[in-house]
Amino acid sequence: MALLTVEDLKMYYPVRGGVFRRTRAVCKAVDGVGFSLEPGETLGLVGESGCGKSTVAKSVVRLLKPTSGRIVFEGNDITRSGPAELRGFRREMQMVFQDPAESLNPRHTIGQILEEPFVIQKIGTRGERSEWAAELLRRVGLPVDALGRYPFEFSGGQRQRIGIARALALKPRLIVCDEPVSALDVSVQAQVLNLLLELQQQDRLAYLFIAHDLSVVQHMSDRVAVMYLGKIVEIATATELYRNPRHAYTKALLESIPQVDLSRKRERKLLKGDVPSPINPPAGCAFGHRMRHPKWQESVAMDLRLQEVSPGHWVQPCPCCTT
Amino acid sequence: MNEPLLEIRDLRVGFQTDHGLLVAVDDVDLTLERGKMLGLVGESGCGKSVTARAIMRLLEQPSGQVLGGEVRLEGRDLLPLPLEAMRKVRGKEIAMIFQEPMTALNPVHRVGRQIVENLLLHEDLTPAAALKRAVELMEWVGIPAPDQRIHDYPHQLSGGMRQRVMIAMALSCNPKILIADEPTTALDVTVQAQILDLIKRLQNETGMAVILITHDLAVVAETCDELAVMYAGRLVERGPVESIFQSPLHPYTKGLMDCLPKLDHPPKTMLPIIPGMVPSLRDMPRGCRFAARCPNAHDDSVLSERQPWRECSGGHGVEACACFASTL
Ligand SMILES: Nc1ncnc2c1ncn2[C@@H]1O[C@H](COP(=O)(O)OP(=O)(O)OP(=O)(O)O)[C@@H](O)[C@H]1O
Ligand SMILES: Nc1ncnc2c1ncn2[C@@H]1O[C@H](COP(=O)(O)OP(=O)(O)OP(=O)(O)O)[C@@H](O)[C@H]1O
Ligand SMILES: [Mg+2]
Ligand SMILES: [Mg+2]
Repeated sequence: MALLTVEDLKMYYPVRGGVFRRTRAVCKAVDGVGFSLEPGETLGLVGESGCGKSTVAKSVVRLLKPTSGRIVFEGNDITRSGPAELRGFRREMQMVFQDPAESLNPRHTIGQILEEPFVIQKIGTRGERSEWAAELLRRVGLPVDALGRYPFEFSGGQRQRIGIARALALKPRLIVCDEPVSALDVSVQAQVLNLLLELQQQDRLAYLFIAHDLSVVQHMSDRVAVMYLGKIVEIATATELYRNPRHAYTKALLESIPQVDLSRKRERKLLKGDVPSPINPPAGCAFGHRMRHPKWQESVAMDLRLQEVSPGHWVQPCPCCTT
Repeated sequence: MNEPLLEIRDLRVGFQTDHGLLVAVDDVDLTLERGKMLGLVGESGCGKSVTARAIMRLLEQPSGQVLGGEVRLEGRDLLPLPLEAMRKVRGKEIAMIFQEPMTALNPVHRVGRQIVENLLLHEDLTPAAALKRAVELMEWVGIPAPDQRIHDYPHQLSGGMRQRVMIAMALSCNPKILIADEPTTALDVTVQAQILDLIKRLQNETGMAVILITHDLAVVAETCDELAVMYAGRLVERGPVESIFQSPLHPYTKGLMDCLPKLDHPPKTMLPIIPGMVPSLRDMPRGCRFAARCPNAHDDSVLSERQPWRECSGGHGVEACACFASTL
């Protein structure tokens, strides 16, 4: 049985628009996303800034209540679960956030932050909790004397490790990692990635792994999903996706990976066209629309649900972007 | 006129904490020439952001203090300037993009208002003109539907869009120097390429110089002219980008280059790491701070003695620890 199944997930935010801020519009941040995740598996999730990755992440751990769709975790439909029911699931699924400043309470010491999950779940004595907090710090490679200090006393990367330590506290089965290593330098990044891989091997942890660094995603993931403007446009095993991308946006992403190659200061091919808005998204294939592809018009009337082009490799079947 | 645009000498910055004074930046020298881009890299916590904040005189108050050194902008030391004069330098002459946009944007104000207030502070504009300019700026940095987005609160924007708002604010007054603290960390690679291109373009148009703090060595290789590498509060290596990438001298710099995940590395296997941890700020050795993790370290004498700086050819310099100095 899949650990997590997400079906046709939609998350629309209400927004104010217009000069008089009266007209209400909706921001279709996530507009029909589906995937599944097996125990011990890593699904990488990549895509343009603002395409809805964090919204998917927060919906999966139910920090958000989706507009529609279904989220099934360990066989339980949690799409509409209330706070009491969710508390039980929180032991099993955790989230590491993109911006640690957003998620660490500035008025709590690191010790308090790391003990909090145990306090909420009412486990352990005070002594045990502080021992566990120290152990968590050690696991993410921070000195134990950090326990008495406050988040602002740490660098961005150190704060991110604290966020990871907290997510590990309750030994979850799924960790949703929203850019867990974006704030880390390469040497610490390598340590954290190795740590995540080790934990996965030991405990059969599953990860939904969001990152912008495509070489990191490739390194960590079994499968990778590419999102564009609220939708998944391509999903395949990591090896297949990197070797044989089928969607034009996936190709653009892969071509933009910065390279340490001093023989050529690269004249980069920049993506053109206006970055699309999830408020009033275009009909049909959004990337084709952006690229003003001559065949975009054809995609408007089409069923753009993903199609399997080779075993396990799914892609949006639009005439403009898919080869 | 031959003086560099920005010259930092012997900068020392500390924090007063419950455990006494912690020195986070220790004797750092940096030089930034007009129109150039200087990359600043180093292990998380090594003092990159603190250095940047010290230049801007925006250290955490009251704990953060500049303990010594100079920060000369076109020859004028900024450190002793009265606050009022410093406020004019900020934004207009040196602008900064902060690492965590959530800490720099005010969560209770709409982003449009924040851009407008910043414009009104530095430029002679009517509020209506400033609003119009704010929308243009947001469009310019690639925020879709800017006339709607200016009414959003920061938490309603995606991470990448917040960062672009920060960039719009920083560039709004055409500064001479832009200090960008991990400006593209939160962005996907296609937008990253666009933003770096935007910064480069502005640089070409206005001669702006840039200090780019990043941990992405590939970005450094693609965009920077010079590179400075910090470790545990100290500058350990500095020089032209080509020179450092082709022949890194300091063992830490070498280690960094090895840690890069490469697209041809077998997936889901352990990456090379630099074993161990940075020494705690409370317990810094006087000498080489990398010794405990250094593959060449042969004896402990390098810990107690401050290791000398060595200038090699072509503007490439390094903290020449005894463990490798003989090979230079
Ligand atoms: N609370 C909110 N209210 C209104 N709109 C929102 C809210 N949160 C997110 N959005 C919008 O939803 C869209 C998707 O945002 P999300 O944060 O999921 O993107 P993302 O893919 O994580 O981007 P990034 O890579 O930049 O972090 C964006 O257009 C964003 O502005
Ligand atoms: N307000 C503060 N009080 C005490 N210590 C601080 C404070 N701000 C920073 N420090 C310490 O100063 C050191 C340097 O921090 P800084 O934020 O400059 O690191 P950095 O190089 O920018 O790291 P990163 O790549 O993770 O952003 C860190 O060890 C940090 O713990
Ligand atoms: Mg996000
Ligand atoms: Mg920093």
